[in-house]
Amino acid sequence: MAVSREYGSGLSGATPPTGGRALIILVVLSLSLFTMSVRSGDTGVLGAVRSGFSFVTTPFRIVGSAVTAPIYGLGNIFANLTADQATLSELREENDALRQRNVELEEQALLADRLTELMEIQSTYNLQSVSARVISGSTDSWTSTITIDKGSAAGLAVGMPVMDGSGVIGQISSVSPNSAVVRLIFDEGSSVPVMIQSNRAQGMLNGSAGGGLSLDLVRSDLTVEIDDIVVTSGLGGVYPKGLPVGRVSVVGRNPGALYLDISVEAYSHVQSLEEVLVITSLTDEQRASAEDIEEADAQEMSAINDVADVQVREDEAADDDGESR
Amino acid sequence: MQGIDKNTKRRLTLVLTLVCAVLQLAIAPNLPFFSGRANFMLILSALMAQLFGGRYGTVAGFLSGLFFDFCSTSPLGLMALLLTISSYVLGYEVRNKLNDGTKVSITQFSIASFAVSGAYALALVMVERAGFLEAIFMRALPTAVITIICYLPFLMILSRNRGGFTLSSSRGPGRSSRLH
Repeated sequence: MAVSREYGSGLSGATPPTGGRALIILVVLSLSLFTMSVRSGDTGVLGAVRSGFSFVTTPFRIVGSAVTAPIYGLGNIFANLTADQATLSELREENDALRQRNVELEEQALLADRLTELMEIQSTYNLQSVSARVISGSTDSWTSTITIDKGSAAGLAVGMPVMDGSGVIGQISSVSPNSAVVRLIFDEGSSVPVMIQSNRAQGMLNGSAGGGLSLDLVRSDLTVEIDDIVVTSGLGGVYPKGLPVGRVSVVGRNPGALYLDISVEAYSHVQSLEEVLVITSLTDEQRASAEDIEEADAQEMSAINDVADVQVREDEAADDDGESR
Repeated sequence: MQGIDKNTKRRLTLVLTLVCAVLQLAIAPNLPFFSGRANFMLILSALMAQLFGGRYGTVAGFLSGLFFDFCSTSPLGLMALLLTISSYVLGYEVRNKLNDGTKVSITQFSIASFAVSGAYALALVMVERAGFLEAIFMRALPTAVITIICYLPFLMILSRNRGGFTLSSSRGPGRSSRLH
């Protein structure tokens, strides 16, 4: 019998290896990789290997994006199945040709609209930018990212902000020669310094697993209304100042809380991202000015003082209670 | 339960690896299920473990996990660790579990899918400080469910075709020449 001795199982009577030794070795190897990766992030050897991997696999992502695109149009195909077959047989070829042409023209018109929109944004905000096409969504369930078809060969680098025609969508988190991964503002690990356009109240826009955006660190004594526009503040030097991000959708006030609970609805929708702009450099006007930084510091100091006041009042109240007893 | 010859094993490994890798790279990112995406590397590692088990399955689990880690933006080695352990457990002692019945295989895979997805989410909660409930209910659960759904066609195809997995080219006598 030519059954492999190693894998012959019950037929050969040989005791197969359970893989216990391999398990121990591979667990140790995995833990080492994990530790190295957490410590070094996407820099060093592991980052280079990951970049190389991304370079090699980018063509598959592009093909996958193209292959899955028609799936969204399946609804139309099912609707056509109910039509009269005789009529369809006479007109099928003509209809197919016209439909195909129509789809092509609509796609071209939509593409032109989107590119025009991007060009307008580029011109309006005087952005030094590179346009790119979205080729893939996130490959795992735990991060909100997209992959674009431009990489370090086009001058892109980690940290560069990315936007579409509606506003800011995220920043580049890793880059390979021919592609880059963009961490979206909806990602749980994403934080964008923003301000409310009407009253210049500064805060931090954070993502969540549910895809919502929360605006944190806005003091509760400031007035924030629903539909107020949220724009980037330019603090931190990553995002240009004044780019639209979204609008305030919910404002919550908890008694005694120092900060407001604000939800923001982003202008951009992940599902419809196709072309994006990567901002490659900022001009001096796009960075936060010294006044902006002073204003942010003043807001923060005011919040700290409020906390200190509350603590002093609580201490005094406790002392009064002690004396009265 | 019977073994599989080396040629069949190589062929199966090659085909399954290619199919799952392409699906992981090209299809999974573009077809989200709520907030989850299918983990075809978990499917690959489980199939390898259930078909071949032992050292082969364990190593396949590690390599599948490493591939997933390179595809994602999360820390390297995390999925490799989880798939190594799950493959070892799935493939422990018993070989070719796909012949033990689809219900057993589905049950085992479902447990593995929920365990791996849950553990991965918990690890990310600790490493990246993500929200616990969101990570479990909005990421791990949809991922486990869609992964189980995507596993079923593989299981059906492999179970139907198992008669074609000849044990050797020398055509041994009787039942030893075929899986079943």
